Amino acid sequence: MEFSGGSKSKEDQTFKEACEHALEEMNCDFVGLALQNSKGPDISWHYAAGNSNDKYKRITVRYGKGIAGKVISTGRPMKIEGFPNNIHGKALEYPIMLAENLNCAFAVPIHFKGVPKGVLLVGKRTDQPISESDQHTILDAAEKLEKEMNSSI
Amino acid sequence: MNTQPLKNNLSSYIIQTHEEEIKRIAMELHEGVGQSLSSLFSGMQLIETAIEQPAMKSYAGDLNLLLEKTIQEIRHLAVELHPPTLTTLGLISAIKSYIRLYTSTYGLEVELENHGIESQISDRVSITLFRVCQEALVNIARYADTTKACMIFKWEKSRLLIMIKDSGKGFEVEAAMNKLSGLAAMCERMHLIGGNCTIVSKIDDGTSIEISLPLY
Repeated sequence: MEFSGGSKSKEDQTFKEACEHALEEMNCDFVGLALQNSKGPDISWHYAAGNSNDKYKRITVRYGKGIAGKVISTGRPMKIEGFPNNIHGKALEYPIMLAENLNCAFAVPIHFKGVPKGVLLVGKRTDQPISESDQHTILDAAEKLEKEMNSSI
Repeated sequence: MNTQPLKNNLSSYIIQTHEEEIKRIAMELHEGVGQSLSSLFSGMQLIETAIEQPAMKSYAGDLNLLLEKTIQEIRHLAVELHPPTLTTLGLISAIKSYIRLYTSTYGLEVELENHGIESQISDRVSITLFRVCQEALVNIARYADTTKACMIFKWEKSRLLIMIKDSGKGFEVEAAMNKLSGLAAMCERMHLIGGNCTIVSKIDDGTSIEISLPLY
């Protein structure tokens, strides 16, 4: 993993708690955290809350591909509503949406030393879009995670 | 006048031409663009070591990283378009390689069983079998809502049997055959190489796809 400022178990705990806390705080079904691997540009989903299976643990996307890859490559949030409709490209290019049966999602970048290296995603299995207030909550959660990670360097 | 044989020949010709074009693009990307970029990368590395000015050296390093990423992308794209191992190492090897990519992309685990000795089959037949298996696995990732699938190859004296099973949510085959062009295309592709494709599925009780092909 890329972030190794503090100890591995402390990082694990921080990331896991951030996902669980976000799930509790928001009106959503799934929260996941993806990080860019330390070797190579690939991105893997490491932590999740509200997951319906363990497929996320095996999913690795390339830089620029999938939601996580796109958010990291652009450094900007990404919103999906009514999946698999209204998307760029094919549904198969969104593995986390398929793996967790999500209909709506909002994903934000997490910066490390000023560079996007992670993604915090919140998703719903219903057609109800992620509300504006939940989008702010997830942006705040990502910002909090950034601060914690950058301060542990 | 019965136009069915003519229609079959035409479909077969279109699919074959399409596959040949995909293979050509994959080769061009891998052997042409990929090789040129690799040469550029080597040259850039040499230039980077010769630069003494720190800011320029760092800039050259960033360019090298970008070039390395691009080379990787080109390689991935070429392999995704046409599996290179299919011609060199055979169908089972190409399927194994695809399963690795499939699991790391969709998180689904596929158990592969291979019984008997792999027979020599033509490029046209092996790419068709590969595409049909690929379509079956992609459909599982897309619709089955399951974490595991199983693929069994049985090489018999006079025929090859392939079974692809999942214990996912299943579907109504007849309705899906009309709606999903992918399922109909799998059967059509098998039919065009003299094989057969049978799809059995039950709601909440998984799906089983059986592909058979006479071996001469």
